[in-house]
Amino acid sequence: MGGSTVSESVITVSELTRRFGAKTALASVSLSIPRGAVYGLVGANGAGKTTLIKHILGLLRAESGSVRVFGLDPVADPVGVLSRVGYLSEDHDLPGWMRVDELTSYSRAFYPAWDDAYAEELRQAFALDSTARISNLSKGEKARLGLLIALAYRPELLVLDEPSTGLDPVVRRDILDAIMRTIADEGRTVLFSSHLLDEVERVADHVTMIHHGRIVLSAPLAAIRESHRVGDRIPSLDEIFVTYVGMPAAPAPDA
Amino acid sequence: MRSPALAIAWEFRQRHRWGLLAVGGYLLVLAVFKFAILEPGQPVSLDDAESFALAVVLPLTVACLYFLVVFSFGLSGDLAARPSLYPARMFTLPVTTTALAGWPMLYGSAAMAGLWLATRLLGVWPPHVDIPWAWPTLLAAVLLGWTQALTWMPYGLPGLRVIVTVLWLVVVDTIVLLALHVKASEAVMLAILSPQVPLAYLAARSAVARARRGDVPDWRGALARLGRIASVLPRRRTRFPSAARAQAWFEWRIHGRSLPVWVVILLPFELALLFVAGTDVPSLVVYTLFGVLLTPPFMAAFSVPRVRQSNRQVSDGYGMAPFTATRPLASAALIAAKLRMSVWSTLATWLLVVIAIPIGLTLSGTWPVVIERSRQLSDAIGTPRAVVLGLLVVSGLIASTWKQLVQSLYVGLSGREWLIRSSTCLTLAVLIFIEPIVQWIRASSYVRVALWNALPWMLAVLVVVKISAAAWVATRLYRSRLLSDRALVTGAAGWLVAVLALYGVLVWLVAGPLIPRYFLALLAILAIPLARLSAAPLALAWNRHR
Repeated sequence: MGGSTVSESVITVSELTRRFGAKTALASVSLSIPRGAVYGLVGANGAGKTTLIKHILGLLRAESGSVRVFGLDPVADPVGVLSRVGYLSEDHDLPGWMRVDELTSYSRAFYPAWDDAYAEELRQAFALDSTARISNLSKGEKARLGLLIALAYRPELLVLDEPSTGLDPVVRRDILDAIMRTIADEGRTVLFSSHLLDEVERVADHVTMIHHGRIVLSAPLAAIRESHRVGDRIPSLDEIFVTYVGMPAAPAPDA
Repeated sequence: MRSPALAIAWEFRQRHRWGLLAVGGYLLVLAVFKFAILEPGQPVSLDDAESFALAVVLPLTVACLYFLVVFSFGLSGDLAARPSLYPARMFTLPVTTTALAGWPMLYGSAAMAGLWLATRLLGVWPPHVDIPWAWPTLLAAVLLGWTQALTWMPYGLPGLRVIVTVLWLVVVDTIVLLALHVKASEAVMLAILSPQVPLAYLAARSAVARARRGDVPDWRGALARLGRIASVLPRRRTRFPSAARAQAWFEWRIHGRSLPVWVVILLPFELALLFVAGTDVPSLVVYTLFGVLLTPPFMAAFSVPRVRQSNRQVSDGYGMAPFTATRPLASAALIAAKLRMSVWSTLATWLLVVIAIPIGLTLSGTWPVVIERSRQLSDAIGTPRAVVLGLLVVSGLIASTWKQLVQSLYVGLSGREWLIRSSTCLTLAVLIFIEPIVQWIRASSYVRVALWNALPWMLAVLVVVKISAAAWVATRLYRSRLLSDRALVTGAAGWLVAVLALYGVLVWLVAGPLIPRYFLALLAILAIPLARLSAAPLALAWNRHR
């Protein structure tokens, strides 16, 4: 991070197009996320959010266009990019055969900046038993463990791909708190994909709406609200979403 | 579809239509051959055992195994897992448990019985052999019924399903073989098999009922003491000194133990033959030891590690798990961890073999046979050569085990379902056809002479193909920067040294007027892995960055 400025772009996506067979998942998507931003990526299921995030992580290769993270190509230099990124997916894909302490011990080997004290603080805050086998954890506990692994080395960029999907309100609150903590560390960036728009509204300072692989709206949240003001009434992000996409982003969460 | 029975039948037909069509096509070929090509009314004569095995026995066996897998839902679940193999999604259907268990059993039994009856009717069977109709039909249904019952049963331990199912099917087969051995009549055979059909059904119904109410026993707690002992070995409590070591540990825990475990399961059965042989049948002792020594490389071919989903619910089944793909490690480092794990796995396996053989020889009292054979070899070629030959054979087998583990790595690492399935089909085809081809070669002196004359050319062509493939892979590795220049040069130099060393040993051992040196050089080039091994980082990168 040394020497970087606040306005520097952490993620730059230019004219990114991706097709899966006949389906166009992303169509000429361009995006620039500045350092220190909390970026909300919203869209209905199948809109292309996860595809875009996979390109940012280097899990998909750009068919046309380019993706740069910290100025690096994540496909050509996965170590340079991934060592600075914390990632939590909606699937909470963790090896079920490991125990919690084995996973933390294994993960810390990859990140020189791993903070043992912070990891332990998070483990206790999340009430995770260090000897528990991951396959025996509940979905919420797996999400918390995934979050612990993603945060414990204080990554410069935190990428959360629909992390709240299917989780109870307590775990969702933990995830939002984690985003807040990350923001509190100066210069850290968050890319947060969700179709739970109330959560995005709570934490994001910039929102990008994606629909059928195209960006239909991208602006600071305050500017979006202001531009959609009807008289004295400021519409919710959900209402704005319906305006652009023609349907709600997601059913209302349980709580 | 108006009934659950039709819906279940539709699912089997729709999901496995290509396999079922293949079986139907085979039966059609048999019918055309028997009724159209062979002159009607002409007595069918088939004295050639190999042709008969190739045309009838082998396809029948493969089709039976296919039906066992299909109708027990073996392709849709994890055979080694504790929960039932019966698809959990079907438990919420508004259908009775009797129907859930009964319809697949009925369809499967009908398919198995129909397969036998059709093969019995259409196959060209050896003359003067009375091929029964009834009891094999029943046996087919019994085997399927027990397979379904035992695979649908929830178990208390991972892997227990495989052991219980295999052992029980072996028991059923053994009973039938014993009955045949004592020339039991058809009525006796039917009496032995008939009660098993309702028993298998009851067991299957009970299994589905237990699975449906989530009754999965967990005996892992009972193994806690053993677990504490085991945790001394693989479980990490200390810090990893590097990311590479951490990843090697990860690979060992996922893939490394499968080969030693498989070999440990097989060794007691193989070494038991030493007790049968004793000192009276020295050749059986020698064959048994050869079998034991060949077990690790043979089993290694089936234990090839690949990138597998840690979460079966996500993405495609063969793709790289996001957890692994997002490790901040270069693809080459991920491969290096796999190679290191393969070395550990090979050494652990051979350590077990080296410990087990002397124990088996001592307990069975067959050491004298081995000592006598060693003395004969020593007298024939001299003690130094005999010792070197022995060491070379063992080290060659160890190297071959490692080679088997790593040379097909690229297939699984590619994460492409079509490539993995094609490779599996090709391997199975080779396994199926190798024996008939060997028999064909053995039976014809003309073929043997022609092959011997063409062998150098065949080897030369293979070498050209191998070197060309290696050059292409090296170019791609260089351009993609997956490996550093130094790693590429070091790898090439290491390969060259290994080839030269093997060539030198071969020349020292077997060179003579009948075996020219260029022939040994070609063999050495082909023996040391290069192209496929070097393709592993490319395959992984292809999978990781799709």
